[in-house]
Amino acid sequence: MIKIDLEKYRSAWKNEQSFDSQKLSNNDIRKFLQANSKNINKMFKTGLSIDIVLKSLLAISFAGLIVLFANQHTVVLVNAALIALSIGGIIYQVRTYQKVPKNKQPLQNIRTSLKSKIDFYNTRYIKSLFVGALSNSMFFLSGIMYYFYFKYSAIRPFQLDDYLVFGTAIILSFALGAFIQIKQHNFQISQLENCLKDIDEDTLDEYNIKKLKKQRIKNMIIAAISLVLGLLLLTYIIFN
Amino acid sequence: MPKDKNIETEFLSKIHKHQGILHKICFLYSNYNADREDLYQEITLQLWKSYPSFKGESEFSTWMYRVALNTAISITKKPSFFVATDNAPTIQDNIENSMDLNEEIKVLYKAISQLKKVEKAIVLLWLEEKSYEEIASTIGITVKNVSVKLVRVKAKLAEIIKKLQ
Repeated sequence: MIKIDLEKYRSAWKNEQSFDSQKLSNNDIRKFLQANSKNINKMFKTGLSIDIVLKSLLAISFAGLIVLFANQHTVVLVNAALIALSIGGIIYQVRTYQKVPKNKQPLQNIRTSLKSKIDFYNTRYIKSLFVGALSNSMFFLSGIMYYFYFKYSAIRPFQLDDYLVFGTAIILSFALGAFIQIKQHNFQISQLENCLKDIDEDTLDEYNIKKLKKQRIKNMIIAAISLVLGLLLLTYIIFN
Repeated sequence: MPKDKNIETEFLSKIHKHQGILHKICFLYSNYNADREDLYQEITLQLWKSYPSFKGESEFSTWMYRVALNTAISITKKPSFFVATDNAPTIQDNIENSMDLNEEIKVLYKAISQLKKVEKAIVLLWLEEKSYEEIASTIGITVKNVSVKLVRVKAKLAEIIKKLQ
């Protein structure tokens, strides 16, 4: 049985010169400072900015459709509703943008920083993904209405099968966008949560032990009540 | 502005002085050479952005560990961030072929690369001879918990090293 002397490795680590010998010059470090960041917050902010621009363009395109279909009141009403939806979406995304965790997080300890990131991803961010996915459906609607205008100069009244086809397309475009973004979101969350779990796995403190004991007593009471009720029901069934 | 210039010069000189810390963290938290450079860039940028909030309440190196480890741990490894391909030279290849590194460091690196992100942070701080209090405050757990975790991580590390030998 080999016994590993970790102290030997620690002293090798301490005496290792190569980490210091690969020092960069101040100019190199300055270049790193000027390079673009690829962090998650920045990627998320970029995504939000793109969605805000896209929704603004969609609002303009719906306004254009109001002008083009000025004599079709239903279409005007639908487009007015879509403009309102776009503006609502823009306001929501702008507010979300303002709430993206600021850079103070790296200053906190690792546990607190991970916790606040996970909280943000699980609350505001998840809702924002659905708001973002709405752009796909609105983009489809805008495109199809322009297509109708340039092909037929009007939108004819819809039949049941039209509602089915367009309804499915709208739902699919929304669902597909949301699905992809949620998959990515879940991946990020699971990575962060695993790290938090690693930190927390040994924190069975007094409070948690008390909580577990309470939960166990609660479970026993529920099981006992269920057993008594079951026996009563069985007795009732047998004797009737 | 001259004041900003002074702050930048001060920051650069501090980073230059403590670069070994960054190299070690990037060394442990990336698999490919290209990733290492990206991570170095990201950590440097985070340090620069957080620098105005550094009040000098702790040592610069302690603060640097905290920011750098936070950045390294919370960057999720996804294709858009770590762009290197499977064929790209890995740090492990470099280490195995390196004549400069001593054998113990090579084994240690291989063993640490098999640990989880948070375990790596604990081991790194232990290797750097940080006190239990410093490890606790960097990670955000109690001192008692640090001792429990450290025993567990060291046992895991010893087990991996034993398998590697």
